[in-house]
Amino acid sequence: MATAKRRGQRGVAAGTRTGKGRKGLSKVPTGIAGLDLVLGGGLPAGRVTLIHGGAGSGKSIMSLQCLLHGAGAGKPGILIMFEERAAAVRQNAWSRGWDLTRLEKKNKLYLMDARLDPEAVISGDFSIKGILAVLDHRIKAMRAKLIVIDAVDALLHLYDNPMRERHELYVLHEWLLDRGLTTLMTVKTIPQEEAPSRYAFLDFMADCVIHVDQRVTAQIATRRLRVIKYRGSGYGRNEYPFIIDESGINIIPITSNILQHRPPGPKVSSGQARLDDVLAGGYKRGTSILLAGTAGAGKTTLACVFTRAACLRGERVLYLNFEESAESMVSNMLSPGLTLQPLIKAGTLAVRSYLPEAMGVEEHLFHALKDLDEFQPQHVVVDAISACKRMGSEQAAFEYLMRLLNVCKERGITCIYINQTSGLEIAQEISGIGISSLIDTIILLRQLPIGGAMTRQLIVMKSRGSKHSEQFHEFRITDRGIDLVKA
Amino acid sequence: MMKARKRERRRSAKPGGESYVFRLFVAGNESNSSQARANLARLCEEHIKGRYKIDAVDVLKDAAAAHKNKVLVTPTLILVKPLPKVTLLGNLNDTRQVLAALRLTGDEG
Repeated sequence: MATAKRRGQRGVAAGTRTGKGRKGLSKVPTGIAGLDLVLGGGLPAGRVTLIHGGAGSGKSIMSLQCLLHGAGAGKPGILIMFEERAAAVRQNAWSRGWDLTRLEKKNKLYLMDARLDPEAVISGDFSIKGILAVLDHRIKAMRAKLIVIDAVDALLHLYDNPMRERHELYVLHEWLLDRGLTTLMTVKTIPQEEAPSRYAFLDFMADCVIHVDQRVTAQIATRRLRVIKYRGSGYGRNEYPFIIDESGINIIPITSNILQHRPPGPKVSSGQARLDDVLAGGYKRGTSILLAGTAGAGKTTLACVFTRAACLRGERVLYLNFEESAESMVSNMLSPGLTLQPLIKAGTLAVRSYLPEAMGVEEHLFHALKDLDEFQPQHVVVDAISACKRMGSEQAAFEYLMRLLNVCKERGITCIYINQTSGLEIAQEISGIGISSLIDTIILLRQLPIGGAMTRQLIVMKSRGSKHSEQFHEFRITDRGIDLVKA
Repeated sequence: MMKARKRERRRSAKPGGESYVFRLFVAGNESNSSQARANLARLCEEHIKGRYKIDAVDVLKDAAAAHKNKVLVTPTLILVKPLPKVTLLGNLNDTRQVLAALRLTGDEG
C-alpha cells in the first residue's frame, strides 16, 4: 500500500511538499482522501480558501468534512450558514455517520445559523459588524482555528451596491487574517460558468481557489475538482474527478504520469494443461490478457477455468462482473462443471457485480480500487469490457479500463479482460475500445459451422515477450471445464 | 451581560395610544450606528412622543444579546412591541420607508 501512496503523490503534484512549504507556508490538512495530495498538504493556514461551484456540486460537504477533520485534530471550528438550517445540517451529517452534536458538546464545533430574516426591511447602509462581534465572542470561547463561511454570496447579496459588497468583503477578509483563522468560503456559481462573475474579486482576494462542478455526459453525472490558484504553493493542476459517497468526498487517485509497471512475473497456469502448452507455459503473472469473441464462444468459461485454478492454488481472484449477478454466474458455471461457490466461501474468490449505467466512470473506478484494496487479489477478471461502454461512452469505458489496468500493472496483478465482439469480422473489433496496445496477450475465441455443427476454436493473436502457437485450436466446453482437442 | 446594555427610557404619563418598545443593535460609534440612533430618536419624538422605549445594545460589548436576537448586521432595529415584530436593517435614513415599516404613518397620534 505504501507504494501505491508514493505513486499517487508523484502522479498528482510533482514538486510540491506536504506540511511546511519552501517559504514556510504552513498547511492545514483537509483530511479528504486525495485532496491534500492535490493541495500539496492541505489548505493555507491562517488564510482564506474559496470553493466555488454550482448547486449540488459538493461545496458544503467538502467544507464540513474539513471542519470535522480539524475538530478531530485539535483545531476547533465554526460553521456559519447563511442558507441552511443548523438542524438540517446536523441531520444530513448524521446520515453520513458524522455526529456533529457530540463535537458541539465538546466545544470543538459550533454551528451558527446566520440566515437573515427574509421579512427584514433594509433601510439605508449597514455593516457586518454584528456577526463579527458574535463570532469574536465565540472564537475566544472555543479557541477556534478553522472557520467555514457557507454561501458568502447570500451575505453579499444583501447589498445592492457592488462597491459596498467589495468593501464588506475586504473588511471580512482583514478580520479573518487578523485572527489567524484558516477559512473556507463557499460561493455559488451558475452552472457552466467557472468563476462567479459577480464575485470575481473573491478569486483575487483568496489565497487558494478551488472549483468544483458536476457534469452530465450521456446521462451519467461526474464530479470534478480543479485548483485554480494557490499562492505560495505548488498544487496539482489537472482536473480531478471525485465522488461523494456515504463517507464524504473521495478524490480518485490519478493515473500516474510515468508508467511504473512492474515487469511481468513468472508464468501462471491458465487452468487448462493444453492451453498452457499453446501459451508456452500459461499466462504471465501481472500482465494483461484479453479474451475476445462472439457471444457463446466460451469467454466467461475460459476466464472461470483460470479463476478456479488460481483460487484452488490459494490465490485470490477478484471478478468484476458487469453482465450478470454473482448468483447467476455461479449457477451458470455449474454447467461446464466449474464450482465457484466453495471458492467464494473460502474467501479466495470475490465476485462483484455492478450495473455499468448505475454510475459514472469515477465511481466505478473508486469501487474497483476499493475492492482491490480490501481484497488484495493476485488476479482480476473484468467481464466484459464491452459492457463498460454503458458507463457513458466509449471514451468513458476506455478511461476506466486503462486506469484499472495501470493500477493492476503497478501492483503486479494479472488482469483478464473479456471482450464480446459482435460479428465474425473480429479482427477489426478485437482492439476493443482501443486498449489492445496496452494488452500483453490476446486470445480470440470463435465458433465456426463445420459439418452441420458449431466448432469452437481459439487462437493466440499476441503474447508479448513469450512464444506461442500460431495455430487455431479446436476446443470443447465439457462438463469438466474446457478441453482442447489435439490437432 | 444585561449590565452592558445601555438603556434609554423615555416614557410619558400621557394616557391613550399604544406604547412602542424598540431594540436597536449598534456597533460602537460607527457612522451607520450613530445615524440610526439619531434617526430613530427623531422619528419617535415626532410621531410617538412620550410613548416609546428604546433599548440600545452595543454588539461590541454584548455579543451574547446580538446572538440571542440573531443580529448579523449593524445597525439592526427590532420593533418588539406592539406585535407583530418588525426587523429593520440599516441606518434608517429613508424616513418614509422606516415609518411605513414601523406602521407609524397617519393615525398613530
